[in-house]
Amino acid sequence: MLWQLALRNIWRNRRRTLLTLSAMVISSALLILALGIFSGMLKDMLASATEQYFGHLVISAGDYQDDRDMFANFSSSQALEEQLQREPQIRGYSKRLRSFGLLSQQRNSGPAELLGVLPDQERQVTNLHQHLVAGSYLQPGDSAGAVIGSGLARRLGAEVGDSLVFVTQAADGSIGNDLLAVRGIFSTGVHRHDNSLVLVPLGWLQQLLVLPERLHEIAVKIEDPLRAASFAARLQPQLEGQLQALDWGQMLPEMREVVASYDVSRMIIVTILYIATGLGILNTFFMSVMERTREFGVLMAIGMRPGQVRRMVLLETLSMGAISLFAGVILGVLLSLYMAYVGIDLSGTLSPITYAGGTILPRLHAVLEPANILYPALSLLLVCLLAGFLPANRAARMQPVVAIREE
Amino acid sequence: MKIFLFCCFSLPLLATQVLAELNLRELIRTVEQQYSGDSSQTRIEMTVKTGHWERHLEMESWSLGRERFLVRILAPKKEKGVATLKVEKEVWNYLPKVDRVIRIPPSMMGGAWMGSHITNDDLVKANHIDQDYDFRLLSEDQQSWTIEGLPKPNAPVIWGKIVYQLQKQPLVPQLVEYFDEEMILVRQIRFTDVQTVDGRTIPLQMTVLPVEKPEEKTVMHYRQLDFDVDLQKEFFSLRQLKGRR
Repeated sequence: MLWQLALRNIWRNRRRTLLTLSAMVISSALLILALGIFSGMLKDMLASATEQYFGHLVISAGDYQDDRDMFANFSSSQALEEQLQREPQIRGYSKRLRSFGLLSQQRNSGPAELLGVLPDQERQVTNLHQHLVAGSYLQPGDSAGAVIGSGLARRLGAEVGDSLVFVTQAADGSIGNDLLAVRGIFSTGVHRHDNSLVLVPLGWLQQLLVLPERLHEIAVKIEDPLRAASFAARLQPQLEGQLQALDWGQMLPEMREVVASYDVSRMIIVTILYIATGLGILNTFFMSVMERTREFGVLMAIGMRPGQVRRMVLLETLSMGAISLFAGVILGVLLSLYMAYVGIDLSGTLSPITYAGGTILPRLHAVLEPANILYPALSLLLVCLLAGFLPANRAARMQPVVAIREE
Repeated sequence: MKIFLFCCFSLPLLATQVLAELNLRELIRTVEQQYSGDSSQTRIEMTVKTGHWERHLEMESWSLGRERFLVRILAPKKEKGVATLKVEKEVWNYLPKVDRVIRIPPSMMGGAWMGSHITNDDLVKANHIDQDYDFRLLSEDQQSWTIEGLPKPNAPVIWGKIVYQLQKQPLVPQLVEYFDEEMILVRQIRFTDVQTVDGRTIPLQMTVLPVEKPEEKTVMHYRQLDFDVDLQKEFFSLRQLKGRR
């Protein structure tokens, strides 16, 4: 009975109802879209640091990550690798050796960071193979190939097929130097990587540095990057000796701050937007209750109890909330899906911004996350209840005689 | 008139100052070029010691004036033929293993030369210390001078301060200390084994000590030194760097 009354009341004044509904639908849909784009930027930023370079977590010896000391190296053990393969959360891991030195071609030379990798492993952890602009990625078994950043290639005047010389000091103090053939050139938009990073075969670099079978780090990619910290903490006690598992948050503390502050700013945005929406809803319902003062008086005169009146008004607001929630979430998800698959390219007007160790790419691109839908949806219901409560209370407290006489 | 008077009084003053300055400058110049002279040919043994390794190198070097210098490694076998050529402000390395000449870019000038505690900058800029710094006598006693060098404004230098301890008779350096821009002692070079070679009295052993890493050092020992050898500018070429005559 109450339900029927409530629904009929809603449809009595269609224009008012539709206006209120559209305000709620659009505000929740746009909020879902905005949060999705915000998440997309954050994900781009995190990916630029982790999926193009670090991995989500890194296992290295002692404090290697602090000063990148060549001598803080270790050998991987069978047991360790089997353990990494067993972990269901691990998507891939990559054994790496790193060296800083001088890369040169003919008259051009410049400093470079070489990462010795096993190509098959590395492409499971980082996605540089998806950013190639020329040539191809390293092939397994390649003995002296190199995939270099586009900025570095330009500085050296190097193209695919050219040969480069790398010089550095090896671990025995000797002058390590050897030739590399450029196999591919990548461009990520992240200047730090494009201007200095070079991928080379692990065996080649181990020989050059006179560090046979040694590694500087094992980079790991896991299912959910936001769980990297707890995963690293869980992995740590199982590691032997000097080895340490660091998640991206420990290597890039600023990035961790950014991600943590994202949760807070998401709540602030939701709150601000819904205070505005809530005031609109409150206004509509107050008006509709005031308009129907006589009606409520009659209802109560023929025996409706105050509690029933209150429940009826609340049901009206709740059902409007539910309808707009449904429509709003669908619209929001559709908009987000469009932005996730098509997006808007801004590279014509903006250049990439590097901030807190990550790079924000010049594009609007959304990511669908359950929290980005859940927060707006729950808040909308809450706002509806709050906005309905005051008018409902007012209606319930009316004296039937006074209400009927009111003009 | 005032200007004329000013000149009369100040010129002699200025002159003596300039003279004193010149003497110090001249002293430093002599010391900095003790191993090169107008031209030279040397054989050097270099020992580099770090926390992780220790190695011995034998090298042969030639120099002409301030601006030309060539050094080639003779031993160990792995690095035989590796050579460095400096002409004016440029430094090239030759790597026989890959048969390539590499120009050292400005950004790598601070890097270690041949794995030692000497940097490429030392090769390029040490010869200009007397031009790039202003000198002042800190103290003097019977046997020695202590001279402080501060960089001239805008001079392209790496050190914030250099302090020389020179022995007077015969004139040889004993200790040179290098400070960074924050005036923190970074590196010491000690000179020992003073001998008379080819008519000159010079310390044959030079020990470079990085202050931050007390366990590390580079010792250069001159085994053979010939001055005023017959060398032409053309000798210091990329061709010569590669060891092809």
